[in-house]
Amino acid sequence: MSANSHETNVRCSCEAAKSFVDWYYRQVNDAKSVSPGYVNGHAAYDRAGHPPADICINGLVVATPQEWEKLLEQQRQAPKQPDPNKRRVRYEVEGYDVHVINADYRFGAPQKMLDLHSPTDGVRMMMVLSVAGTVYFGTGRNKGDEYWEKQNFHDRFILVPNWDVIEKPGARHGRKYLIISHNYRAN
Amino acid sequence: MAPPTGPRAGRSNRPSQRGGTHSGTRGGGIGKRRGTPRTDRDGDVPMDSTSALNPPTGPSAHSARGNRGGRGGRGTRSSSRLAQNVRNYVSEQDGTARNAKPQPNKATLKIHGLKDSKAASNSDGGLRSLLDFLERKSSKERPITLGRGVIRGDHVWLKVNQADVPHLLRLNGYTYATAPLTIEETNEPIPGQGSKSTDGPESKPSETKDKLLAVLASRYNVEQKLLDLSALGADQTLFSMGAFESKALAEKSFKALMRLTATHYDSPAEKEAGIQAVTIANNDIHDVGEVFTLAHTLPRLRRLDLSGNKLEDLSKITKWRHEFRSLEELHIVGNPVTNLPNYPTQMVEWFPSLQILDGRRVRTPEEAAEALKAWFPAPLPRLPSNLRDGGNNVASTFLGGFFSMYDHDRLALARQFYDDDSAFSLNTGTESASNAYHNYSRNLDTIGVRNLSTQQRLFTGSNLIAELWARLPATRHPSLDLAEEWQIDCHTFPSLADPSGQGSAMGLAITVYSRFEEVDPTQQLAGTRQFSRSFILGPSKPGAPHPYRVISDELTLRAWTPQQTPTAAVQAPAVAPVPTAPVPAQPAVLDDVTRAQMIEELCRQTGMTPEYSRLCLAGAADWNFDLALRSFHEKRAELPPDAFAAPA
Repeated sequence: MSANSHETNVRCSCEAAKSFVDWYYRQVNDAKSVSPGYVNGHAAYDRAGHPPADICINGLVVATPQEWEKLLEQQRQAPKQPDPNKRRVRYEVEGYDVHVINADYRFGAPQKMLDLHSPTDGVRMMMVLSVAGTVYFGTGRNKGDEYWEKQNFHDRFILVPNWDVIEKPGARHGRKYLIISHNYRAN
Repeated sequence: MAPPTGPRAGRSNRPSQRGGTHSGTRGGGIGKRRGTPRTDRDGDVPMDSTSALNPPTGPSAHSARGNRGGRGGRGTRSSSRLAQNVRNYVSEQDGTARNAKPQPNKATLKIHGLKDSKAASNSDGGLRSLLDFLERKSSKERPITLGRGVIRGDHVWLKVNQADVPHLLRLNGYTYATAPLTIEETNEPIPGQGSKSTDGPESKPSETKDKLLAVLASRYNVEQKLLDLSALGADQTLFSMGAFESKALAEKSFKALMRLTATHYDSPAEKEAGIQAVTIANNDIHDVGEVFTLAHTLPRLRRLDLSGNKLEDLSKITKWRHEFRSLEELHIVGNPVTNLPNYPTQMVEWFPSLQILDGRRVRTPEEAAEALKAWFPAPLPRLPSNLRDGGNNVASTFLGGFFSMYDHDRLALARQFYDDDSAFSLNTGTESASNAYHNYSRNLDTIGVRNLSTQQRLFTGSNLIAELWARLPATRHPSLDLAEEWQIDCHTFPSLADPSGQGSAMGLAITVYSRFEEVDPTQQLAGTRQFSRSFILGPSKPGAPHPYRVISDELTLRAWTPQQTPTAAVQAPAVAPVPTAPVPAQPAVLDDVTRAQMIEELCRQTGMTPEYSRLCLAGAADWNFDLALRSFHEKRAELPPDAFAAPA
């Protein structure tokens, strides 16, 4: 059995997934920026020459996280709607699951991190995360609010360690994992 | 001293309990509404009884304030007042609206004299100031709060708590605003205005409901999905029920009809499908506010006929201007408003989906769709599959083999593309626990990230994966040639570990969205399930049958929709032709349980005995349910009578 399914890695990947999912959909639902969650513009990856995150939205390849934010903004447009409870787009996560796909992730890693963490430490993980749920259009802030339209959505992310944050001892703030690939479909 | 006169409360220093806005009876600021505050020797107001009895020890003022202090005392006071108000209100409702429930702790008071007082010229007939006066005068020993009271004829009728009666009766003979008051307790029921509901005094609510339902049924046109509520005033049933004796009653009757309409359907979607058009023509409507409920009952109405009413100008329609976002057709002819020059523009502006106004086209469907966009957030456009698999068509090749093998030989599939490091898990979202996947679902949202199941439900290695697959329901994916059935996105990405242990390798991330047919083993029903499946492919270890392997396979299952009729089950396979790829003679995936279920289902659909059903499935059909069913229909005539469980 590979390090990918090592107990520590499974536990750490699940916790990382939860923290990511909680953060990501809260940002989206509050119309806040999700760009910092993508690998683009993070120093350690920029230095090492990592390609920008691959973002594919309903079959459309989007160049930057900012463009994806623009699409989200476009999706939220309802200029004539006077009722704030009919104006929102709300993503409700109904399930998610994560696998470690490379427990010995090295790209852009400072030597210190390679020395410090073995592949079974639950740190140097590349993960694939699937999130499924329902997206409500023309609704309010809360679960169960009336809506105009709804769709099923499915997001698939590939996440890698955010060396800039993990490297700092006792880092409590900042995203510990960054998106290098994001696939979105809503039907 | 003469009895106190007038609402100005001569002697009493007690503020009004009512906090009325009437100028003559204003009882002072908010703070004065409370009962006489107790003070201690220094003139300080104790925060509450506890703090008065137990002086704070040391610097604990914080706790006294925070926990049971001023806020607590005040809260209790105001909440008890609120509670009393609510009780009074409710009892009054009972008293005037239903007149039915006996109320042992309530008494009815009849007060005479208001009509002759100066206060009678107030906008509410002086009722409020009278009640303020009574409250103030009666609250000698303890605060008394009165309900609303009603004026009927020369009397004011009032429901009060039994305990308050003596205090109020004491005020009999007092002079109020120059008129003497007569207060007496009575057992007569309060003469009602709303005491008559639409059904008249004798009939029961259920009868009313039945009658109204009959009215609705007779006015529903199933072909046009039209609810015809025109000329309700001429409806004999409604008329005989007295539904139009007053304007208020007519509105109530309409509300009742709407309520029944709404409760008749199980879900908003059904309601929407059931009623697409409504006519409320010729109903003497002066303002749409009179029938406003229609907008909440049928928010997605497509066609509405308001013709022949009395809507004078646009202000009489404004109440609906944020409603009926789906309204496509509107008729207002025969209303004065239609003569106004800006009427058509305003209607088009208010109703974004409106295409036909009074029989004239005002928008094309495209323009309507565009106009609606301004009202609601709209989903992003959907593009077909986006395959960026590096020019070798790895994804198409892989998937082409994958799903037909998953349907027919899961064991062989696991051996070909999965190795000891491959991981598989499935996840069923929030669907009910009854489905066949539930016990294997690794939905971190429902099982929790620290649950042991996160380990147990992660299936690693081809053997474990094949074992699990054998336990999952048999499936049938549509052919990959049917592009509209599939959304497949894929791209390559760097930095996977190379199996040789040297350096890194490119990976391929594939995400698939589609549906498959599935026989639900718990319900023995054929159905369709939507799914998405995410694969991570990477290079194989040396000696593997393929150059690439599945590193991760995450299956997300969506809602399962049963096929409505057996006929549909027969027709459905047309979407999924039998694969021409070499298929092993005996699919390994079907265990005995699944077979038993297939036999049972075939029995149910064909009426054959279990033995014949088994023969039919095991023969040329090779445990393909649809083939078996087809061959049954072909050979039905040749079957001996004993093939059927019961005579047809």
